[in-house]
Amino acid sequence: MSRIGVFVCHCGINIAGTVDVERVAEEIGQHPEVVHATTYRYMCSEPGQQLIRDAIAEHDLDGVVVAACSPLMHETTFRRASSAAGLNPYRCEMANIREQCSWVHEHEPARATEKAIEIVRTVVERVRGDEELEPFRLPLTKRALVIGGGIAGMEAALDIASAGYPVVLVEREDHLGGKMARLSGTYLNFTAAPDLLRRKIEQVLNHPNIQVLTGAQIVGVEGYVGNFEVAVSGFKVSGSRMTKSETSDLKSETFEVGAIVVATGWDPYPLERLPEYGGGEIPDVVDGLTFEGMLRDEGGIRRPSDGQVPREVVFVQCAGSRDPERGVPYCSKVCCMYVAKQAMMFRERVPEGQAYVFYIDIRSAGKGYDEYVQQAMEEHDILYLRGKVSKIFTRDGKVVVWGADTLSGRPVEVAADLVVLATPMAPSRRAFELAKMLRIGIDQNGFFSEAHPKLRPVESLTAGIFLAGAAQGPKDIPETVSQASGAAAKVLKLFSQDEMVQEPTVAYVIRELCSACGACVEACPYDARSIHPVWHIATVNAALCQNCGACVVACPNKASRIHNWTPEQILAMADVVSW
Amino acid sequence: MEYQALVIGAGIGGMQAALDIADSGYEVILVEKEPSIGGHMAQLSETFPTLDCSQCILTPRTVEVGQHPNIRLLTLSEVIDVQGEVGNFRVKILRHPRYVREDRCTACGDCTKVCPIVVPNEFDRGLAARRAIYIPHPQAVPAVYRLDPDACMGLFPLACGKCAEACEADAIDYDMAPEVIEVEVGAIVVATGYELYQDEAVMAYAYMDHPDVMDGLEFERLLSASGPTGGRIIRPSDRTVPKEVVFIQCGGSRNPEHGVPYCSKICCMYTAKHAILYKHRVPDGQVYIFYIDIRAGGKGYEEFVTRAMEEDRTVYIRGRVSKVFPSDGKIMVWGVDTLTGSKVEIAADLVVVAAAIVPSEGSRRVAEMLGIGVDEFGFYTASDEEMTPVESGVPGVFLAGVGLGPQDIPETVAQASGAAAKVLALFEAAKSMNKD
Repeated sequence: MSRIGVFVCHCGINIAGTVDVERVAEEIGQHPEVVHATTYRYMCSEPGQQLIRDAIAEHDLDGVVVAACSPLMHETTFRRASSAAGLNPYRCEMANIREQCSWVHEHEPARATEKAIEIVRTVVERVRGDEELEPFRLPLTKRALVIGGGIAGMEAALDIASAGYPVVLVEREDHLGGKMARLSGTYLNFTAAPDLLRRKIEQVLNHPNIQVLTGAQIVGVEGYVGNFEVAVSGFKVSGSRMTKSETSDLKSETFEVGAIVVATGWDPYPLERLPEYGGGEIPDVVDGLTFEGMLRDEGGIRRPSDGQVPREVVFVQCAGSRDPERGVPYCSKVCCMYVAKQAMMFRERVPEGQAYVFYIDIRSAGKGYDEYVQQAMEEHDILYLRGKVSKIFTRDGKVVVWGADTLSGRPVEVAADLVVLATPMAPSRRAFELAKMLRIGIDQNGFFSEAHPKLRPVESLTAGIFLAGAAQGPKDIPETVSQASGAAAKVLKLFSQDEMVQEPTVAYVIRELCSACGACVEACPYDARSIHPVWHIATVNAALCQNCGACVVACPNKASRIHNWTPEQILAMADVVSW
Repeated sequence: MEYQALVIGAGIGGMQAALDIADSGYEVILVEKEPSIGGHMAQLSETFPTLDCSQCILTPRTVEVGQHPNIRLLTLSEVIDVQGEVGNFRVKILRHPRYVREDRCTACGDCTKVCPIVVPNEFDRGLAARRAIYIPHPQAVPAVYRLDPDACMGLFPLACGKCAEACEADAIDYDMAPEVIEVEVGAIVVATGYELYQDEAVMAYAYMDHPDVMDGLEFERLLSASGPTGGRIIRPSDRTVPKEVVFIQCGGSRNPEHGVPYCSKICCMYTAKHAILYKHRVPDGQVYIFYIDIRAGGKGYEEFVTRAMEEDRTVYIRGRVSKVFPSDGKIMVWGVDTLTGSKVEIAADLVVVAAAIVPSEGSRRVAEMLGIGVDEFGFYTASDEEMTPVESGVPGVFLAGVGLGPQDIPETVAQASGAAAKVLALFEAAKSMNKD
């Protein structure tokens, strides 16, 4: 026989305004194993929690049911309170009579009360079958791996390394800096940006806690949060601390790390996929990143075909972006600003030149950004034309742009010397492959998925793997830098523990019932299940198990179970429901 | 080094920074001037682009902050003085009296029932009333009532005293006095957030004081299931369901002559959201949106605006509004459609103006105390806006959220974690140096 206490919360009028909480307590008090049942206005308040602690001691309770809100709200609160009074916290459960009862049955108080009684009854049955559990403790490797040596990866690596933890920074190219290294400058700080980047690269290379691997490829990822094993191949080790001989050989190695930051950035959209704009055909039709290179060229801006200085330059925004038919329904976010920058730089270098910008909407949302575009229009006489470009072709050595001006309603033709296409920011070439290796999600456009679009923007859904920069979706440099530091904060938070504490409510196997059929291995979305090579039964990697129950459903022998969610408990709960 | 941080502002930015620091094992003092935490996000109905209920995703966070063993939450409080430097800031915090003891109040609401004073509820942007003793909203953290001394019939001498009589928990204390406490912290995160532009004259829509012309946050309260109308869309003047609703974007934004020159960044998205949510509630209604450019740069944002246009048949009109005025029970909106070049006149039932975002009141004072820069509009300036966006330039003082400039929730949250990373790196580095 258990000795269970039931605590029914009024939640002000949230529950008590609909459900007759006194009757709930009275009814459930009749249960032979409920030795104490009471109500209180706010069970989560300090006096409410004290009431539970006192009752555990006074009535020698070995199980607690709190009938209140969703366990998402307060399970931790009440388990902590129970634990403080000496009860095993896993013998404290919540019965949700607010979200699942009073709130949705506001107009039927009598039936809501009956339902609340039944809900509490089922949870009493659950607690009867609850085992006393202890959380798992797992070791934690306090070393991070950052994938991608662009501005995002470098910022994350520096933040983690500055806090004193070792970082392995993996870059596929043979140098750091990513796409930013190919830019002429940033929007607001045009001249100083390359210098700032150079300093950042030096900081990374000189940091005693950062090991930089260039030309590297991730070839395998095993393990789980706190204990990943990442195989990296074909890399050179860079850094001022390395001697020449060390840097020359190609190496492969498996790194044990506790956390991973994915900062793989973006890749340019292939120009050849824009044939109507002469992409890949007309040499003087280039993309934005190529034009950045022309701006960096000390010989000045020269067009590719004949090395002449272009006089008339047309910039085409949304050249591929915001085009669902092309499979790029999203906005690439940075183009409106870099086009304004490029057009202004062009006008500065070629004062007698003329720049035209075709746009759909000008998206200069950011600090000082709208003012920046205004400056481009007003002070640099850049001609902004609102409309799409329909066709680009060559005629008499000129690149002819046909478009529409939707404000005047007229077709426009510009005979240009050079056309710059603001092509989409596409996901990194290896994103899909990497997502599979890391077991993290990818969205419909090929960018890595964050755990929650609003409140968990730098976490992946896989514990211990974090996201930074354009790998998660198009974004500009300041946003990328902020987000990279954000990802670093999550790593630092993880590393602030000495070991990892894992919830014990995970799957387990009854060995005698297991036939090693492998159905659970197939069903598990987290790779937590495998067949033991020697014992020949199914096993659970408790660190990977997320308690989803897919294996329980898949198992034909009822050998797979979840602690404190056993079939016996669920059937006992179903048995006491009266309808 | 004081291994303790101060976070100023407990909106979503400040809460995120506080949680990241506190979860890493350091004490945080979280200062909020309002009676409860959560900032403007607590007022929102749903969030774009997933239409998640704002309260539902926010409440677990506010509860976590309220219960965190490493967070000392000081509501109704303001920072009034900061001395010292990184590693050792000496901070004076003024705690305004709540007149209700946090350790005793059970939030039962008996006090409110007997209070005779009725004033507009700020949390509902004046669309509903509250008593002089009140809780801003049911999910408020801390779940404690507050006696508003300005609304109360009189505390010195006591004029009424009914709430104390009604309070079984003996929580009401009329003698509570302002208190200045001093704390020492190693680092500071500034997350003071925003307000909406209020100067209607400057916004050129002279009828913002008409009940049926409202700003975006008021409309959020109308949409909210926990708001004054329970999520029913009824216009304030006559409580009828508005069938023609006009949304005006750039209400004061991008307007150097009559407002602010900058773009408020989030309005295009929340207006699209408003249009979608309105249509969910009033399927036979029609939405018109006046815009200059549709700025939907963000994950899933472009697709969201397309949905507002295509699925919910929102009419987007590219052009500015010249005049808004009441006429025959309608609100007339005069504008121009720059794509056809013609004038547009709409007799609307309700007009929602996406008012410009301006820095929170008091942010200049905070900047002065901390010695950090502000731009001409009062937004904090980072030491380098592009390369070090969360660093203020004053060592040990970091920035997060809309106090830096308009940005949306995910950007704010990521940035707040970024500011927390700088604090953690500072603390961890000092710790390992001490060990050596």
